[in-house]
Amino acid sequence: MKSVKDIYLELSGIAIAVLLALACGFAVILATSSEPLTALSSLIIDPVTNPFNIGTVINKAVPLMLTGLALAVVFQAGVFSMGAEGQLYMGGFAGAIAGIYFDALPFWLHFVVIIGCAMAAGALYAAIAGLLKTYANANEIVTTLMLNFVAILTTSYFVNNVFKDPTSGGAARMAYLSPEVLLSKLIPGFSAHGGIVIALAAVVIVYLLLYKSPVGYELRLVGKNGKFATYGGISKNRVLLTSIMISGALAGLAGIVEILGIHGTFKENFSAGLGFDGIIIALLARNHPIGIVVASFFYAYIQVGAQTMQAGSDMPREVAVIIQVMLVLLVSAQGIFNFMKHNMRKKGGVV
Amino acid sequence: MSVLLEMKNIHKVYPNGTAASRGVDLQIYEGEIHALVGENGAGKSTLMKMLFGLEMPTSGTILYKGEPIALSGPRDAIKYGLGMVHQHFMLVPSLTVSENIVLGEEPKQGPLSLFRDRGTEEKQIAQLMATYGLKVEPQAKVETIPVGQKQRVEILKVLYRGARIIILDEPTAVLTPQETDELFDSIKALVAEGYTIIFITHKLREVMEISDRVTVLKAGKTITTLMTKATNPEEISRLMVGREVLFRVNKRPAEPKDAVLSVKDLQAADDKGAPALRGVSLEIRAGEVLGIAGVEGNGQTELVETITGLRRSTGGQIRYLGEELAGRSAGRIRAMKVGHVPEDRQTAGASLTSTIAENLILDHYRNPAFRRGPFLNARKIKEFARTMMQIFDVRAAHEQVAAGSLSGGNLQKVVIARELSKNPKLLIVSQPTRGVDIGAIEFIHSEIIKRRDGGAAVMVVSAELSEVMALSDRIAVMYEGEIVAVLDNTEALTEEEIGRYMLGLGTKTEHPERKEQEAI
Amino acid sequence: MWQSIWSQLVDMTLVVVLLRYMTPILLAALGGLISDIGGVLNIGLEGLMLISAFTSIAVGSASGHWLVGVAAGMTAAVLTCLGMGFFSIKLGVDIIIAGFAVNIFGSGITIFLMSKIFHVTGNYTPDQRTPIPTVNLPFLQDIPVLGKLLSGHSLMIWIALLAVLFCVALIYRTPYGVHLRAVGEAPSAAKSLGIPVNRIRYSALAWSGAFAGLAGAYLSMGMTSMFVKDMTAGTGFLALAVVLLGKRNPVGILIGSLIFGLASAITTIVQTTEGTAIPSQFVQMIPYLVTIGSLVVFEARKRKGAAVPATHTI
Repeated sequence: MKSVKDIYLELSGIAIAVLLALACGFAVILATSSEPLTALSSLIIDPVTNPFNIGTVINKAVPLMLTGLALAVVFQAGVFSMGAEGQLYMGGFAGAIAGIYFDALPFWLHFVVIIGCAMAAGALYAAIAGLLKTYANANEIVTTLMLNFVAILTTSYFVNNVFKDPTSGGAARMAYLSPEVLLSKLIPGFSAHGGIVIALAAVVIVYLLLYKSPVGYELRLVGKNGKFATYGGISKNRVLLTSIMISGALAGLAGIVEILGIHGTFKENFSAGLGFDGIIIALLARNHPIGIVVASFFYAYIQVGAQTMQAGSDMPREVAVIIQVMLVLLVSAQGIFNFMKHNMRKKGGVV
Repeated sequence: MSVLLEMKNIHKVYPNGTAASRGVDLQIYEGEIHALVGENGAGKSTLMKMLFGLEMPTSGTILYKGEPIALSGPRDAIKYGLGMVHQHFMLVPSLTVSENIVLGEEPKQGPLSLFRDRGTEEKQIAQLMATYGLKVEPQAKVETIPVGQKQRVEILKVLYRGARIIILDEPTAVLTPQETDELFDSIKALVAEGYTIIFITHKLREVMEISDRVTVLKAGKTITTLMTKATNPEEISRLMVGREVLFRVNKRPAEPKDAVLSVKDLQAADDKGAPALRGVSLEIRAGEVLGIAGVEGNGQTELVETITGLRRSTGGQIRYLGEELAGRSAGRIRAMKVGHVPEDRQTAGASLTSTIAENLILDHYRNPAFRRGPFLNARKIKEFARTMMQIFDVRAAHEQVAAGSLSGGNLQKVVIARELSKNPKLLIVSQPTRGVDIGAIEFIHSEIIKRRDGGAAVMVVSAELSEVMALSDRIAVMYEGEIVAVLDNTEALTEEEIGRYMLGLGTKTEHPERKEQEAI
Repeated sequence: MWQSIWSQLVDMTLVVVLLRYMTPILLAALGGLISDIGGVLNIGLEGLMLISAFTSIAVGSASGHWLVGVAAGMTAAVLTCLGMGFFSIKLGVDIIIAGFAVNIFGSGITIFLMSKIFHVTGNYTPDQRTPIPTVNLPFLQDIPVLGKLLSGHSLMIWIALLAVLFCVALIYRTPYGVHLRAVGEAPSAAKSLGIPVNRIRYSALAWSGAFAGLAGAYLSMGMTSMFVKDMTAGTGFLALAVVLLGKRNPVGILIGSLIFGLASAITTIVQTTEGTAIPSQFVQMIPYLVTIGSLVVFEARKRKGAAVPATHTI
């Protein structure tokens, strides 16, 4: 943990980075749009002015929070897994199958089984990359990236063939799950679904796990100084496997929550990069669970804003990508943060 | 002789506030061998970095033949004929010896001089080798050649660039005695050719053997410059340390009991797979300190790592209180009340970005007493950390401060507090006071002795011979992966005698009968 | 089915398809190689290829000449790389994160520009086609097997093969190449000899941009005559895998690219063969599984190699 002053510096640095990134996005809009004011207002104001859009922001934040947590856990352990996307597909797939085939169970048990299967599938799929790393020393960045493709293609095959809903026509999806296991709307008439409760609960659990439990102590120690952990008798391989499996379980949870809350069943290519967005969320949040909540809402807000902007003006929603890229770069620019710290020290005269 | 290079009233303050130089004066005559001595942290290396343009002085002037010069980078230094052989070799492992020598100044050929001229490269290197008698294999990759040859490559690099003043930063630290002799021969040959040598070291024997003049640095200041012929090691040592004895430890004679650790014929390899321990046998009893002396790199690191489970042994036994340690994991060994203060506290001994408390609970976080349900007991941890910080006089605002913000001495106290907090029966301490301030040194030494008196078996490994002599009851000398002598640390034992064994000039191992006599 | 695959193998169709798939992987991987040797591993190859693919076809059709298009594509990729260098070298962004950002950026900016400039979503086919020319070798093209093997390929295939030789010369025969290796492996040693470490790193990134630029231009103006959003479909990641497997050596990169090209070629042939029993998804998986498999084999061999001196030095 850092001193209050350091946290303050870090936060103000991130705030500046966010403002700069937004400024870049605005600059692009001003430069390329023929109706820049309409575009800007639909980007910034529309997402928060009507209940439907607010609900959409919340719903978009849910999977981001979960994948963000998934990546924060591995990043804190010093493992550079990029595999949340594939784990998310595997989790969603396994959860959906459980949803279809264990239909006879009482609905609460059914729900628990679905969630459990999704998390287990995500964790087991993540374990492949973990084992490849521990036993064959195969670079986890590459293996996880490749396993993403493998997961997407595998589930694509099954959802196009074996588990395809015969009534779906051209769409590659499974049969819809029974409505009672789906995440219902929190408030009737308001589009936000119950996934936000699950996501926030996951945030609390991951926070406790990382900062208050022995497992989290080992995990963070390995990430901060592997040599010290080895010296202290902590098995790096065990920590690596633990962290990547926890991460996979969270990614799997993200997948099934997205299915239960939005899609109703497993559909081909349903994620479209949620696992990669999670990397950005984790970076923005400096891998801290509470930061992840804030970052997810902000990111979802920008995404919804980009959609309302596309609908309401001549700007395509890819403008959001420019903001995202600048966010990633500026927030991880250690140079800027060191510069700020240095200046603060000089001013304060404290060494 | 004329003054070639002069540094006047040099100060250097790093951005983080550390003052490495606080008024250094240095005059180098043309054609001399000038030794620069001082303790660790006296500011020798910083001074040389400034002379080589790697660091800029905060204030003060550097004069070359009477003219003030500014050195803003290695290129400037090279321009004035300065060359530096760094303590940690600045070589590119996967390039060949030849490529390393000419790096940055390659002979070129072809259109627009785009290509390397390997023919000329080969010829020039052959010529350099022949002129100065520095033998290397030009086509071998640097990662495959032995240390002594690497150093010759460094010297050739400097000569190739036309340097006339050669700075050697602790060149003998990694050399065997034979290699050291060869190096000295080369240095003498260079001086005969009119080169000027600046020789940084803390080994007084070498100062006496090779230098013409010697400048003593202490705490970032120049103390004095002496003619080597007109002085003696005792005087230099006194000037370096500022007091007669570097380490004075008040301790009663040891009262050793049963053996705690007994190592028999231990073998292990170094990181590159070469044998580092060639059958080490030793014994440490409860209530005694065994010091390990030796030139760095003679297997001390590997010995400690093998005993503590961080390195796999390839043969032999490690018996600890009747149990075999070989093959056990580091975690299991730590749990058996073996304390280990590693030589490199910055990387292995502490996690600098973790808090002091997190560093302290390394052996306790699994302990049910530090738990509350499935979670860590924050209050208990805080209490424990505060107590430890108080007992071990760790000076920090609170226990949540990042360990990396502590000074060397305070960080070492955290490491020692952690290792002692489990009441070790065997305590292994490597380089207990390297880079630690004087006040902390005395504290750390007295803690080590307290443990000995409390019945722990203690092993101390230190590059500072005077430290080993101050702390130990018996001293084992390591040379090339073997224990060449085990000596009782009596008043009669001199540094010179230990030095002889350290250089591999003799052996003296313990006889079982004699050991029994000692025990009485 | 097997019969059909076999006949395509015999009549050299497989080799032709292989060369087509190998080219973008090889070019991008050579770029990745130079950045890796310089110590600034560029994982943004995927994004760079997209940027170049879009720029080159847009500029190519607007100017009416393929060469202008290729040059524009390379320029765009090099500029992106210099920006990446600014963030990583000057501002201290981890090079992996910077590369990751370039991948997102490449995908987003091309869709954005496609929409803003050409008012299309998904894909863009220019009215004026300016493909990279194919090289027909006189006389040789009339010889049955040899003709098909050597003649009628896109110029870019030959450029890619020549680029291997170029990289060998650059890395091993020039002082620059030695500096590059020194900076990548021991930056402080390079710095102590006055080698401008940061400038070399920028240049290494620029090389990776130039080669990824060639690869991208080939995708939109050689392999196809259109730009499709995210048309790289993982080629950049395959190239990255080749970089990690290629032992830091251009010839190793060539071999790796051939293997992955072969996997992709088999994928296409099996997919387009009538009556295929193997589902397309599993065939498409081949390159990714090959990557993982070869990474494991490579690491195992590396460890075995390292263990040999350990047992023989006594």
